[in-house]
Amino acid sequence: MDVELLIGILPQVVIDGLILGFMYALIALGYTMVYGVLEFINFAHSEVFIFGAFVGVEIMLGLKSAGVLERFPWILVLVVVLLAGMLASALLAFTIERVAYRPLRHAPRLIPLISAIGVSFFLQDVIRLTESIWRNAFNLVYPTIESLNVRLEITETIDVSIKSLVVIVAALLMLWALHALVNRTKVGTAIRAVAEDQAAASLMGINVNRIISLTFVIGGAMGGAAGVLFGVQYGLINPYTGFIPGLKAFTAAVLGGIGNIPGAMLGGLVLGLLEAFAASYLSLLTGGAFGAEYKDIFAFSILILILIFRPKGLLGEVVRERA
Amino acid sequence: MRGARVIRRPLVAIPLSVLLLIVSGAAVASFPRSVLAFLLFQGAILFIYLAAMPGYLRAALLAVALLVMMPIIGAYNVYYLEIATQVGIFAALALGLNIVVGLAGLLDLGYVAFFAVGAYSWAIFGSPHANQIFGGGFPLAPGWFYLFIFVGLAVAALAGVLLGLPVLRLHGDYLAIVTLGFGEVIRVLANNLDKPINFTNGPKGITPINRPPVPFGLPYAEYSYFLVLLIVLVVIVVNRRLEDSHIGRAWEAIREDQVAAQAMGVPLVRAKLLAFACGASFAGVMGVVFAAKQVFINPESFTFLESIGVLAMVILGGMGSIPGAVLGATIVTVLNLQVLKGLSLWLNELKNAGVVILGYPLADLPTQLEPAKYERMIFGVILVVMMIFRPQGFLPARRRQREIEVTAEEHKTVTV
Amino acid sequence: MLFAAKGITKRFGGLTAVKDVDFTLEGGIAAIIGPNGAGKTTLFNVFTGLYTPDGGEVKLDEHSLIGLRPDEITALGVCRTFQNIRLFKAMTAIENVLVGMHARVELGLWDVLARGPRFRAVEGEAWRTARTLLERVGLGRQLHTEARHLPYGDQRRLELARALASKPRLLLLDEPTAGMTGSEARQLMGLLRGFVADSGLGIVLIEHNMRVVMEVSDRVTVLDHGEKIAEGTPREVQTNARVIEAYLGRRGAHSAAP
Repeated sequence: MDVELLIGILPQVVIDGLILGFMYALIALGYTMVYGVLEFINFAHSEVFIFGAFVGVEIMLGLKSAGVLERFPWILVLVVVLLAGMLASALLAFTIERVAYRPLRHAPRLIPLISAIGVSFFLQDVIRLTESIWRNAFNLVYPTIESLNVRLEITETIDVSIKSLVVIVAALLMLWALHALVNRTKVGTAIRAVAEDQAAASLMGINVNRIISLTFVIGGAMGGAAGVLFGVQYGLINPYTGFIPGLKAFTAAVLGGIGNIPGAMLGGLVLGLLEAFAASYLSLLTGGAFGAEYKDIFAFSILILILIFRPKGLLGEVVRERA
Repeated sequence: MRGARVIRRPLVAIPLSVLLLIVSGAAVASFPRSVLAFLLFQGAILFIYLAAMPGYLRAALLAVALLVMMPIIGAYNVYYLEIATQVGIFAALALGLNIVVGLAGLLDLGYVAFFAVGAYSWAIFGSPHANQIFGGGFPLAPGWFYLFIFVGLAVAALAGVLLGLPVLRLHGDYLAIVTLGFGEVIRVLANNLDKPINFTNGPKGITPINRPPVPFGLPYAEYSYFLVLLIVLVVIVVNRRLEDSHIGRAWEAIREDQVAAQAMGVPLVRAKLLAFACGASFAGVMGVVFAAKQVFINPESFTFLESIGVLAMVILGGMGSIPGAVLGATIVTVLNLQVLKGLSLWLNELKNAGVVILGYPLADLPTQLEPAKYERMIFGVILVVMMIFRPQGFLPARRRQREIEVTAEEHKTVTV
Repeated sequence: MLFAAKGITKRFGGLTAVKDVDFTLEGGIAAIIGPNGAGKTTLFNVFTGLYTPDGGEVKLDEHSLIGLRPDEITALGVCRTFQNIRLFKAMTAIENVLVGMHARVELGLWDVLARGPRFRAVEGEAWRTARTLLERVGLGRQLHTEARHLPYGDQRRLELARALASKPRLLLLDEPTAGMTGSEARQLMGLLRGFVADSGLGIVLIEHNMRVVMEVSDRVTVLDHGEKIAEGTPREVQTNARVIEAYLGRRGAHSAAP
């Protein structure tokens, strides 16, 4: 085994892992916040995420065909696309909750969960249908912005592209903003109160329905941002791309302790890094017998192990435990 | 509703059933390519099931429809027989999942994995593929197929227990996610276990898989129809017997309130494992049959989409309801195989014929727009709409009086 | 000694719900009373294996119950009802009772699948027993009514029948008369006495209705703040100074509201 090679690629693996990890962290927030408030797995969140990516790609393709994509400063384009993706996903998440979950809030637990799976499948094909009619294609590629693809050399063998840095910075900014929102504002306090005890919160004059909607909106916005960043980073998207990252982000949320916001961030990073390691090293370590295809199995095995041995995750369950 | 009342009056319902059966049979015979005619035939079968009539008459009419008319229809148009066989395969799957989800209330989202386990067990040994693993001596003779029905059952049940042991302690929602993960794991394994040792031949799949020897010189399509029908009947009987026993009651109790169930002496993990294993074994058996019927299998047949499809069947018919599972399997399979594909074909014909609607030439429709590809939308709509408007399904599980020693008098009070 | 619990302690985080409580029963009917939050239900949950105590020993006929699962404890002969009624709501009354027999059914998977004479005999007997039990608690006419459609008092009686179906040697009833009228409660107590007389079963009640407690119990145990503050015959307990303080001092009522 070539130990030098193993060590040589390590920094690159770490960078890849961090990017993936931040992506998972952003998506995981949507799962964890909703779970914290409703104890419910929002299965359709993976489509909320990919919807953001599609809104993003549509805007960028629109700008491109208008011939202005490269003329605007890339920061401006990125901010606009990011905001649009967030807004669209937030709206979608809000609508899903109103239409498909709220009528079922007092039904047995299985019922809303099945409804959520249905929404997830339905949305995948709605996106496909829309894009098929609109563009006669549903595998779309984010147009490249040259200045984002510039690679900065850190050492001779390691480099990182500007867009990767942008993804990391944007993710960090958003995570920080959310953290501040939940912990330092009145709305955040209300969210935590509803997560702790809905009945008590409503007695204290908090509009529980509005807070639940808000949770979906915030989680949706984070998912939409993740979608745009995903598109910018990896390029190719299709209506079904959201599913696996969604599942992994949920794993990340469980890993960090479902319902726990910093936990989702930590879980996302840990999972992203582990997966990057698995993708790069599995093949090397097993002499090519097991390749990068097994990284998904690796992630699910982590999920199963965590659930069995430490079901409360790394940082413990539920928003309230972290005052 | 008028229709509902007609169905409850034997004097009207019986002649109507016979008439429907004859008319639909004639319709299928005269329009062998019509989707609607075949749907009418299926509707007639459903009508017979629902209509008020003595049990022996119902059984006789159903037997005529399924054992006589269907094979004859199939002799004219094999495609219908193929659909009926598919419906049967999915009915067995739905009945298996119905035990897990409907009776025991455990949401299993990776159910199709057990189907895959059964299918691959025969695919590997019933084809020359096993030579790559063991060096030679394969495929096994077609007659081994019958033994492998039991092998598939056992292997799938074992897989169910192995998965269930660690995960059945988990809380409901987590169970859903973990079983989903398990389904994906099995699919990824099927896709990638072509190295270091070639077990599954990866995405290329395995072919040719041996078919069982056919008795009485029947055409193979007819034979698989009868085989599947027989298995479905066995599955229904097994399901019934489980349901009407302390085992089935324990499952339902777990679904209703697992703390109380355990406090009343139901060993939770053992009961859930049994549910998992039973559900899995049905899928395993059908997997073996499926592999032989298709001659070729690859991982594409065992995706998450299939698991959700089977779930949609259970939900549509009604969780915990045996006739519901069969109805659900019929509707969903027919939607997928006939209605969506039919729409695609129809749309293409219209395009090619240069039809113009409201000034819009259909030929200008995007080529990517293929109705046949929108299974997920169908499943999704079924799941959401049913959960919101009719969570008990179309043929809800009836509170039957399951007493074995029912007295004649009580018998009359049973609502039909 | 039928049932003996010694030094039971149960903590939740920083809160000690039950502290060093001893409880024994040789037979007959005993009551556990105390203000809300005194730890009565927690004690039941420890006895039936829902909670593992932080300290102490629970024995049924010298057989330790600590570390056993609830279903194993039921199989050994301790069964219970719940304060907030936990019936299998979508199942009929008789099906609920049949589930209660689960631990006593000696049929395997094969018996069920083969449905031979043995299955028919056992299953038939189970239905007959279940019917008799339901008739005895006054639900003979509601055998096939879904549990959720039964009135409140009937649900309590059904829960009792379900617990009895497991043929317990010790029956733990958590507020069995809650929500019943005075005469219904008296009737129920008569029924319980009948069961004790017939099968020598021991019963422990958690009860707020003092009239019921004083009439029916052979012995009364009083908990307050997780500790046992008194024990004895109903008369002894009624005149105990600490009991009067615990009730009157804080709640100001003779017979606490149900």
